[in-house]
Amino acid sequence: MSEMWINMGPQHPMTHGLWNLRVKIDGELIVDVDPEMGYLHRGIEKISEDRHYNEVITLMDRTCYVAGLAWEHLYIIASEQALGVETPERAQYIRVMTDEFQRIASHIMWYAAFVQDVGLMSPFLYGMRDRDLVLDLFQSFTGGRLTYEYNRVGGVRNDMPPGFTDRSRKVLDWLMDRFVEYDHLCLGSEIFRRRCDQLGVLRAPDAIALGVTGPMLRGAGVPRDLRKDRPYAVYDRVEFDIATAEAADVTSRYLVRMEEMRQSVRIIRQVLDWLDHHPGPVLAEKLPKWLGAPYAPVGREGYLLRRNYPKGVGFSSVEEPHGEAQAYVVNEGTEHPYRVKFRSPVFANIAACKKYMIGYRVADIPPIMGSVDICVGEVDR
Amino acid sequence: MVTTLYDVAYFLSSSLLDALGTHLPGILGTALTNSGLIWLLAAVIFGAILLGASMINTIMLIWFERKMLGRFMDRRGAMHVGFAGLLQNFADGLKLFRKNTFKPREADALGYYSGPTAYMVTSLLIFGILPISSGWSDGSLPLTLLLALVIFSFAPLFIFVSAWSSNNKYSLLGGMRSAAQMIAYEVPILIAVVAVVVVAGSFDLTTIVNEQQNYWFWGPLFLALVVFVTGMLAEMERIPFDLPEAEAELVEGWNTEYGGMLFAFFMLADYLRALVGSILVVLLFLGGWTLPSYLPAGLTSFPLAGILWFMIKTYLVFGLFVWIRASLPRVRTDQLLRVGWMRMIPLSLLSIVLAVVLVAVRCLPVFGCLPPVGGT
Repeated sequence: MSEMWINMGPQHPMTHGLWNLRVKIDGELIVDVDPEMGYLHRGIEKISEDRHYNEVITLMDRTCYVAGLAWEHLYIIASEQALGVETPERAQYIRVMTDEFQRIASHIMWYAAFVQDVGLMSPFLYGMRDRDLVLDLFQSFTGGRLTYEYNRVGGVRNDMPPGFTDRSRKVLDWLMDRFVEYDHLCLGSEIFRRRCDQLGVLRAPDAIALGVTGPMLRGAGVPRDLRKDRPYAVYDRVEFDIATAEAADVTSRYLVRMEEMRQSVRIIRQVLDWLDHHPGPVLAEKLPKWLGAPYAPVGREGYLLRRNYPKGVGFSSVEEPHGEAQAYVVNEGTEHPYRVKFRSPVFANIAACKKYMIGYRVADIPPIMGSVDICVGEVDR
Repeated sequence: MVTTLYDVAYFLSSSLLDALGTHLPGILGTALTNSGLIWLLAAVIFGAILLGASMINTIMLIWFERKMLGRFMDRRGAMHVGFAGLLQNFADGLKLFRKNTFKPREADALGYYSGPTAYMVTSLLIFGILPISSGWSDGSLPLTLLLALVIFSFAPLFIFVSAWSSNNKYSLLGGMRSAAQMIAYEVPILIAVVAVVVVAGSFDLTTIVNEQQNYWFWGPLFLALVVFVTGMLAEMERIPFDLPEAEAELVEGWNTEYGGMLFAFFMLADYLRALVGSILVVLLFLGGWTLPSYLPAGLTSFPLAGILWFMIKTYLVFGLFVWIRASLPRVRTDQLLRVGWMRMIPLSLLSIVLAVVLVAVRCLPVFGCLPPVGGT
């Protein structure tokens, strides 16, 4: 059989989202790949220019639909910088906690999808079951399970409900047990190791040159983690280790994510202890009046474009579950951000696919792409 | 008296035609009762009973798998249609039956339609041969095992034909994988079966089962059992060997382009083959419908006891397949073929050697002795 192109996507079980991977195959061998993005473009950056600062947060949840709170955090740091707003300490801690809970939820979601790519059926539902516990916690203080709209410029919307910290600790204990089970199901399986070892190898020099970040980079042995390298919020006050693995293959990405979840649990436990002993406001007292009330964003009536507010720009980079996300917010003195620009880590991770896919087999495409942890929402925005 | 299923069918046919013949006048009546019409009707009734029984069992098998998989996955499986979802599969089948049958414009009509039909028909054919209980077959077919395996191995051809003719790249890839896989695993299965044949001394499934009355072959021929079960998993295209329809990369593999009733044909035939595989494991290694004679006689003396024990064993074996499906990832094509040609075939050859040794020494320390030559 001669070489041929096949389209894996935009509707395909492998894609985990709406995108198209064109693969040139020779029999079962991958000769060339060509990712096509853009099927999920919603113009979030442009829409943001027409919204008040607090209204953009709604869009952030939809940017990456499995890591909404991490993207809220990313945007909120940049916009607080641009607006010159100080955030209370308690809100910073809460943001760190939500970030890490979101990382656990996102990584479990990744685990569920990834094992199904390898052909394991049951752990998919185990993952979904355990992720629900984290979503229940989110629901208890944000009211949402997928889109939270929890952060506000100058803090967070509301404090934790009573008894939240104890409930969280129970969930964390349960999750730590489940992580052991996850490892048994995957690493304990000979077939899994044979499929995933030495697969999708992306070495550190290539990864750095192509801008690959997150678990893929740490899986190549590079201890790069923005939470340590350029701490934001209160990450410099919590203890944790950067998870790395050396083999640069699919298994090492798996190992990195598993270790990250354990480290997240470690961080959350420290934050919960802090939250127990340090009550206080979660929203800044002094906010620019034109931001509107934090609970009810400014309505369209009374819309008046003014240009005499203080100007500024804000930049933030956050270690979200998929890698390093960056945001740039320009405040030109109006009620709306003048320009919002994001950098999606998954976009760079997918774009490097020629380096880690060519030469493997058709059956390897789902595990390799699964190990990238694709969230098309943030790629196309 | 030995009652076979065919005897039942013949009895039904003759009593029906006799009753008709007595009421019809003159030559018409004698023509009904004295011509070969009785045999013809008996064959039709025989086929209808087999079809109904195998279909109902297949659908129950799907239900069994859904419920069991559900439990493995910490959920309940089908619950809503019928008691505990018993009728869910009938509802699903009805839905598929009502769907429009379509053909992709560029697909080749002959292959596209005949592929699934032939796959279904050959899968059903095997049930005409398999003995389900004592006295099922009167021994007039001395090579039933061979015949069953031959029909069983038709499948890759039909799968490849339907995959190729549906003119889809995924289908083609899946069809080629399927053909390669089935041919690779056909060989070790046949060699492993030879081990059983060597010990039992017959290709007739009834004889093989009778030889096992007190000496099930799963222990002494454990190696052959492992090879056979693994090969059967590959033949059935179940996880971990479901590469031909690997959902993650090939959408649905060779049946990507099929919908409606044609898809239902593939689905049903897959489960028919799973049923046949489980039945063969029971017949060859688990003593078929027999129970060891040191168990109380009351367990086997009631009517249809043989069928009952046979079904229980079959569903347990299928449960093992479901368990494997729930807990293993999928292997890769090259790994599958390497395991097939380089591991399974040597193992199956070794199992023949072991079988010959077993026949020579007659007695093993743990497993006891083979029955004397010439039946129990």
